[in-house]
Amino acid sequence: MGRGYIVQDDVEGYLSKLCEQKADPVTGLLIGQSSTQRDFVVMAIRTPQKEESAAAARNSVDKEWVTEHARQVSRMLPGGLSVVGVFIITNADAKDALTTLRQLLFAVENLISSEHLWDPADDDVTDCVTLHINPKTRKTVCRTFDIKDPKSVAKPADWKYQSGLCSSWATVSCSLNVDMLLPLPNNRTSTGNMEECLKEGLKAWAHQIESGLCLIDGKRLPEDSELTVGQVENKRLTDVIEQCGGSVSVTGAIHSRAYLHSNKPKARLAEKRDVVSTVATRVQMMLEELLASDQESKGSCRDKQQKGLFCLPHRIFCPLKVSGPLCVCDYQFSDEGLSEVTERLKEMLDIDAAEEDLDTRQEMTFEITGCDITPGGHRVCVCKVDMHACVLCPDCPPFCCLGVAMATAVALLATAASMLYLNDI
Amino acid sequence: MVVVDSETATVLRVKGLLEFRCQLDGTDEQLVRNVISRTFETLRSQVKSESCVLAVSDSPVIIWPNKDAYATPEEITPSTLCEDMHQWIQADEQESSGKKSSKKKSKKSSVASVINLRLMTEVTKPGPLSAPILTKTVLKSHFVSVTLPLDCVVCTGRSDTIKDACEQLIEALTHQLCEMEKVTLQNMKGMTLLVPEPVHFLLPEPKGLVTVVYPVGVPDSQLVAQRKELHQQFELPDDRPYFRRANAYHFPNEPYKDGYLRNPHLALTHPTLDNGKVYLVQGIYSYHHYMQDRVDDNGWGCAYRSLQTICSWFQQQGYVELPVPTHKEIQQALVDVGDKQASFVGSRQWIGSIEVQAVLSHLLGLTSKILFVSQGAELASKGRELANHFLTEGTPVMIGGGVLAHTILGVAWSETTGQIRYLILDPHYTGAEDLQVITDKGWCGWKGPDFWDQTAYYNLCLPQRPKVI
Repeated sequence: MGRGYIVQDDVEGYLSKLCEQKADPVTGLLIGQSSTQRDFVVMAIRTPQKEESAAAARNSVDKEWVTEHARQVSRMLPGGLSVVGVFIITNADAKDALTTLRQLLFAVENLISSEHLWDPADDDVTDCVTLHINPKTRKTVCRTFDIKDPKSVAKPADWKYQSGLCSSWATVSCSLNVDMLLPLPNNRTSTGNMEECLKEGLKAWAHQIESGLCLIDGKRLPEDSELTVGQVENKRLTDVIEQCGGSVSVTGAIHSRAYLHSNKPKARLAEKRDVVSTVATRVQMMLEELLASDQESKGSCRDKQQKGLFCLPHRIFCPLKVSGPLCVCDYQFSDEGLSEVTERLKEMLDIDAAEEDLDTRQEMTFEITGCDITPGGHRVCVCKVDMHACVLCPDCPPFCCLGVAMATAVALLATAASMLYLNDI
Repeated sequence: MVVVDSETATVLRVKGLLEFRCQLDGTDEQLVRNVISRTFETLRSQVKSESCVLAVSDSPVIIWPNKDAYATPEEITPSTLCEDMHQWIQADEQESSGKKSSKKKSKKSSVASVINLRLMTEVTKPGPLSAPILTKTVLKSHFVSVTLPLDCVVCTGRSDTIKDACEQLIEALTHQLCEMEKVTLQNMKGMTLLVPEPVHFLLPEPKGLVTVVYPVGVPDSQLVAQRKELHQQFELPDDRPYFRRANAYHFPNEPYKDGYLRNPHLALTHPTLDNGKVYLVQGIYSYHHYMQDRVDDNGWGCAYRSLQTICSWFQQQGYVELPVPTHKEIQQALVDVGDKQASFVGSRQWIGSIEVQAVLSHLLGLTSKILFVSQGAELASKGRELANHFLTEGTPVMIGGGVLAHTILGVAWSETTGQIRYLILDPHYTGAEDLQVITDKGWCGWKGPDFWDQTAYYNLCLPQRPKVI
C-alpha cells in the first residue's frame, strides 16, 4: 500500500507540453505538500536550460545543475510548500530512468535539508516522489523513496489528477520582528567569518522560534506542547563578557506565510519554519552578494569597512495561476527593479508573471534618509526574550492576513535610524 | 523585595529569561556602568511594552498585561478574578514525592495556592513593516551576553482581578530588574560580571514570602554583610539563618529532584493531650531509611539513617553546604577522629549516639548534647527537656538504645498531667517513598511511652544550632 499523490490538474498540461519539446531528457521538480495522511503536488517546474550547454550535454542530466536549481527554488517557496520530488521526461529505459531519478532525488533532498536551520520533527514525512514520463506513450511511472534511508528501495505510488485542489487551502501568516545582535570574533572580521557568526546566531534564533508559542487567530490550542517545562538554563559565569572584534546585527521585520491543506497543528510548525527560513535565506543571499563584491574588489583592504549597513532583500509574493490562495515568493534587493523579479520567476519557476501581479505590499524597503551616530559612537542593542509568542492578527480571518499600518512602519524607521553608522565606501 | 502576607488567596509566580546583550567600546568604568544601566533600562521598557506577554503554565490562558490585560481565551476578561484562573489550569500532577491523601493537603503550607506564569515577548506585529537591515561594526570591543533569570512572586487577594494582578506583576518585574541592576553593578570587577539571580525566602508570619537578588557563584560565606542588612530590615533574630541559599523557599508544586520525602510528619494529625502542647522539629528535613541509595543496610544501618536525617536538616536550613554523608563517609569520619579502626570502613557495624555526636562534630562542625536514661521507662519524665529542645533548637533528635535507633521529631507533652507522646521517624522502613504507606503504617507516627524498651538504657543525641545567620 503505497502513497497516493493528488496532483493539481494544471500539472498534467504542463508536463504534456514538456513532452512535446524536442529535448530529451527533461528533468524538473515537483512542488507540493506531504503529510502523514495525504500528499499533494501543486506545481511542476522544469530544470532551466544551462546557457552554454552543448548539444551533447543537453542529452544528459546534469545532477549539480538540477540540485542547484532545487536549492534556489526551495528558497522561493513559502511555508507548507516544498520540493517533494523530481520528474524526468525521457524515452530511456524505465529502469535507467528510475536510477537517474533516485540519484537526483537524494541529491536534491539532501542539499535542501542540509540548509535547514531546524531539526526534522519525528513525524515529518520523509518519503519523496519520482515521476518518469515517456514522452511518446505518455505513460507515467510513479515511485517513492524514503530519503532518510540511503538504501531505500522504490515503492509504488498513485498519481491522480484533480482540479480545484488548492481552492480550499488555508493561509497562515504574520509579520515578525527580528532583533539579533552577535559578536564578531577578535581579529577575524572578514565577510567569511561574519558568515560563520551569522549562521551560529541564526541557529540559536531559530531554536528560540521553534520553542516559542504560536497562536493561530489569537488562540492557543490545548495540545500545545511546545513549551518544555524546566528548561536547562545555561549559566555561563565566565563567558558573560568576552572580547570581540565587533558586532553584527540583524534588525527589522519579515512577513512570513504558510499554506496548509488541513491539520492545524502542523500549521504552527509550517509557519515557524517559514519564519526561520525567510530570515536565513535573506541573510544567506546578502552574504553571497558581499562575498561576490569582496572578490571583485580583490579583497586587498578587507577590513577597511569599519561599519557597514546592508539592506536585506525584501519579500515579494506572486500568486500561482491555480485557483486558491497559493503564492510563491522572491526576494528583491533594493537596487533591483520588479522586472528582475519577473525574470527570475520565469527562469527559476517557469512562471509567467506580470509586474502588476506581484504583491509587494507585505514588506517595505528601508530607505536610508539620514545617518546618525549615538554619542560615544557605540550602540546598545538588546536581543529579545528567550521565548516568543507569534500571534496572527486576531481580527483577521484565517485565509488572509493583510494589515496596513503606516504608523508602525514609521516608528520602526525612527528607532532604527538612531542606530545607524556612517557607511564607509 | 516583594512581601506576601497571610491574607493571600492566590500567589502568582512569573518566571522568564531575558537576554541582556550590549557592546562595550571601552573599558572605562563609568562608560561600562552607563552602558549596563542603559541596557537594563531597555529591558525595563520591554517589560512595560505592549509586546510583553504572560502565559499561564499548563493552561491556554495568555495575557497581555500592558494592553489593558487583554487575554485569550475570550472568556477571560480584565475583571476576571485571579483565583478563577485555577479552573483553566490542568490538574496538577501528583508530586513525585508520593501520593498524598487530599484531606491533609491543606495543612501543608502557609502560602496560598500558586499559579505559575511564563514571561514571553510577542514578536509579531501587524504589517507591513520594514525589511531587515544587517549592520556590521568592526571595532575591538567587549561583548556582554547574559541571560537574566527573572522570578517574581506577587500576592493577590480574594477580590483581585486579572487587571490588578497585571499591574502588580509588571511592577514586580520592573522592580526586580532594578534590583538586578544594583547587584550587577555592585559586583562588577573590571571586565567580569556576575549573573544576578532571584531567590525566594519564606519568613515567619506575618512577613511571608520575600525575594532577594543574589549574585550567582558568590558563596554564602561572602554574603554575610547582605544578610545582616536583611535581618535588620526584616527584624529577624541574628542568631539563626533565614537568607542563606539553602533556606530558599520550596514552592509546593515543585518536586524535589533527589526523590526523598520532606517532612512526612506534616501529613499527620497531632495528638491532643489535656493541657498538652505539641513541640515539633522546626524547618525541613529529608526522610532517610533502610535500603535507600542502593545501600542494603537492613538490620544494621538505623543509626546511620537517623544521622543522615539530622544532616539533611542542617543542610536544608543552610547551616552546612556538605551533602548528606554516605555510610562509608560516616565510618571514615569516625576513623579520622580516632574513634574506630580503619577496618571499620565498609563494615556493617552499628553506631550509637556517641558516634553520631562525633560525626556531627567532625564532618559538620556541630555540637550536640547527650541525654542519658538508664531505663526506657524514664523517658516519660523527659518531657520538659525534649519540649525545651524543640522550642529552642528545633533539630531532630537521634535516640539509640536496646538494639534500635530512631529519630524523634517532636513531643506532645502536658506539663500538668505529665502525659507524653513522641513523634517518631523510623529508619527501619524498607519500602518506597510512599507518603501514604509511611504515615498509615506508622513509620512516621506518634508513639506512646510504651514504645520504648522499659528496661534498656537509652542515649539521646540532641544537636545544637550554631548561632549564625
